[in-house]
Amino acid sequence: MLSLAIRRRLPGFELDVTWEAEERVVALFGPSGAGKTLTLLCLAGLSRPDAGRIVVNDRVFFDTAAGVDVRTQARGLGYVFQGYALFPHLDVADNVGFGLRGRPRAERRRRTGEVLERLGLTELAGRRPRELSGGQQQRVALGRALAVDPALLLLDEPLSALDQPLREALRDDLRAVLDEWRIPAVVVTHDFTEAYRLADRIVVYEGGRVIQSAPRASLLWQPASRAVARVVGLRNVLQGTVLKATSERIQFRWRGQTLEAVNSPTHSYLPATDAPLAFFIRPEYVRLIRKDRTSADATHHMNRMAGHIVREADFGTTWTLYIRLDEPGEPAQGDFDLEVEVPHLVYEILEIERDRRWEFSIHRGSIHVLPSA
Amino acid sequence: MLTLAAGLPLAWVLARRRFPGREVLEAAVVLPLVLPPTVLGYYLLVLIGTRGPIGRLFEGLGIELAFTWRAAVLAAGVGSIALLVKAAQAGFESVDQRLEQAARTLGRSEWSIFWAVTLPLAWRPVFAGTVLAFCRALGDFGITLMVAGSIPGVTQTMPLAIYDHVQANQMREADLLSLVAVGSVLLLLMGLGRLARLRF
Repeated sequence: MLSLAIRRRLPGFELDVTWEAEERVVALFGPSGAGKTLTLLCLAGLSRPDAGRIVVNDRVFFDTAAGVDVRTQARGLGYVFQGYALFPHLDVADNVGFGLRGRPRAERRRRTGEVLERLGLTELAGRRPRELSGGQQQRVALGRALAVDPALLLLDEPLSALDQPLREALRDDLRAVLDEWRIPAVVVTHDFTEAYRLADRIVVYEGGRVIQSAPRASLLWQPASRAVARVVGLRNVLQGTVLKATSERIQFRWRGQTLEAVNSPTHSYLPATDAPLAFFIRPEYVRLIRKDRTSADATHHMNRMAGHIVREADFGTTWTLYIRLDEPGEPAQGDFDLEVEVPHLVYEILEIERDRRWEFSIHRGSIHVLPSA
Repeated sequence: MLTLAAGLPLAWVLARRRFPGREVLEAAVVLPLVLPPTVLGYYLLVLIGTRGPIGRLFEGLGIELAFTWRAAVLAAGVGSIALLVKAAQAGFESVDQRLEQAARTLGRSEWSIFWAVTLPLAWRPVFAGTVLAFCRALGDFGITLMVAGSIPGVTQTMPLAIYDHVQANQMREADLLSLVAVGSVLLLLMGLGRLARLRF
């Protein structure tokens, strides 16, 4: 259980964030320079907020109103720094045991051995950090932080120092370690997949503010705003005009089309007629209508449109088609209206390489309305 | 030793803390390098003389400073501390602050962090600064002369002795002492240089 409300002003930047989490693993996600690392430093007491309150597991670490500011050393948190910040002059065992000073020598050795063992580092105990691979360094940094039994583990871009293939392998590995040690954690990352794979709750940062804090699935399917959709990397974020909104459905106009979307039951959003409406369509949920099949019925294909492919891109297992509608006027996204993603096999079967004009449909449940704040 | 004890904390403070008057302190530390030794010696004499504030303080404790071996030590220290402080400051500043922050999150006190992280990592520049300061102290002439005089067997340092011999036209003694000075410092520097290349 974690609750945080802090303000910190720096030259040219202001952090002003409030969020809470019941979940065990929380990701702070957003572009670089959004204030994620600064939040972590404030949590650890390595940076002092100008005002605010930080509570971790019912322990008040910081509270300007009550004049509380617990020293870093007394907060009992584990911190894995970006780039790991291992002590270069100490070997792996001494790095891991660094926080155990003050305990009896025998216990120190026992605990260090146990942590090395659990993280599979026993054979590297005598090595210096510079002799380790990136993945091994990450393990040592984790071990050093975990050795002191922290109440909360803070991880700043724990995977960014690694190459892509290794990064994906270690991402799931890291989550396994967090689960195995059953330790609450806050992970900072600018990679959405990473945030999604590692955390139960995602707090989205932009420009020193929190633009959404939600369980990971609801963030993906119900981003709170266009800003969140953009930061999360959603494609086909578009804007139409409301025709009619009920708690069930929203009818709207977009690029000369009348479309219908499901109104999310959790966010009963009722914009007025003629109000602008933001929505997004996942490129992989647009269905091309096969020409070799006879007249598809209306319930099967709703929100029908037609257009032609202006560009395409081969991503190996999938193709992305950039489609421009058969409508006069400016396309919605530069030279095209919609991005459509089809599997490679579909691309071949439908002979899309030759055939450039397509009709397609979008199920109303696949048009996601973005309530504007 | 005195220089180390006073110089290291000073260097750490200059490297890690931001406080009003920091620039003034930093400038004051370098002053002994820039001022003519005689000026420095004169001010030091004013301070530690029997009527100076520090001199009187020590007189109250029954310790005389001016024109004793203690004054010679002090003179050597004041003249050389800047070299140590600047080198050590640069050394401390070169230590990644995240390492110190990491140590802090692991529950270590500032004092323990200095000995376990900062000093071991800044070891080389601190060591180099110490060697430079030591050499400067050995070679000091002007400050020592001003505050400690040149009393044979008491406050007469090697450079002063050589000067006296040359003045008295005793060239053989001057030759011998100069050779000893050059030889011992050369040996010292070579030995220290080898030590500094060791990894630990």
